[in-house]
Amino acid sequence: MDGYSFSITPTIREFIKKLFPNARPANNIFVGYDTKSDFEIYVGKLESQIYPALLGMENDSDLNQLGEIQFIDTQTGIVLHKVTRSDEKV
Amino acid sequence: MSEFLVLGWNVAIPEVDIGDDIFVVQDDNGTLRRVQVKTSTSTVRKDSFSGQFNVSVKNLRNISNILVHYIFLVRHNDEWSKPILIRQDYLLDHFENKKVGSEVKGNITFYFSYTLGNVECSGIDFTKYINDFTDFPKIEH
Repeated sequence: MDGYSFSITPTIREFIKKLFPNARPANNIFVGYDTKSDFEIYVGKLESQIYPALLGMENDSDLNQLGEIQFIDTQTGIVLHKVTRSDEKV
Repeated sequence: MSEFLVLGWNVAIPEVDIGDDIFVVQDDNGTLRRVQVKTSTSTVRKDSFSGQFNVSVKNLRNISNILVHYIFLVRHNDEWSKPILIRQDYLLDHFENKKVGSEVKGNITFYFSYTLGNVECSGIDFTKYINDFTDFPKIEH
């Protein structure tokens, strides 16, 4: 099945756990191409839903402490997408 | 491979070589692990020995939904060393954030130094990865 794999590095996982002890960061989240495109037609950008799940954080006040989150292609190093909490609230 | 079988996992060798050496499968639910085995001969030093391994940067950075588990083995004194098992994201993290290994022409060279049951790579302690079958829990049939 083809799709997108979202993951965070072990260093970031440890950092998040240290900063937010209640967080349960995931190794990776896989989303099929069809699921992503359907979601984005009917709901909106998937990345905004992915990062709280990937970081294992659900508390709004915790999430608000995060700065800019970048989605980077590991092969090329290119930033594919950026999310900031303040942008999402506008 | 026999180690995985002992743990209750099944093992398959891909018909076509596209980077993975072994597929390790949990038969009853289809859980799949991709495994790449790296071997080296030993260089003997006083009270220790070392092994040198090359890993493709492209492969290491290719994070898919099923991560690769790298297994490093050194042939020393006609015996295999205890396996070092590192999942792809951890190895990539060591390389990119902790300066482990050195990159030359698309390959990363890792030097593992074995001393009295401990393993180091680029000054980082890798002992915790020896026989680390955490992602291959024993399956009772």
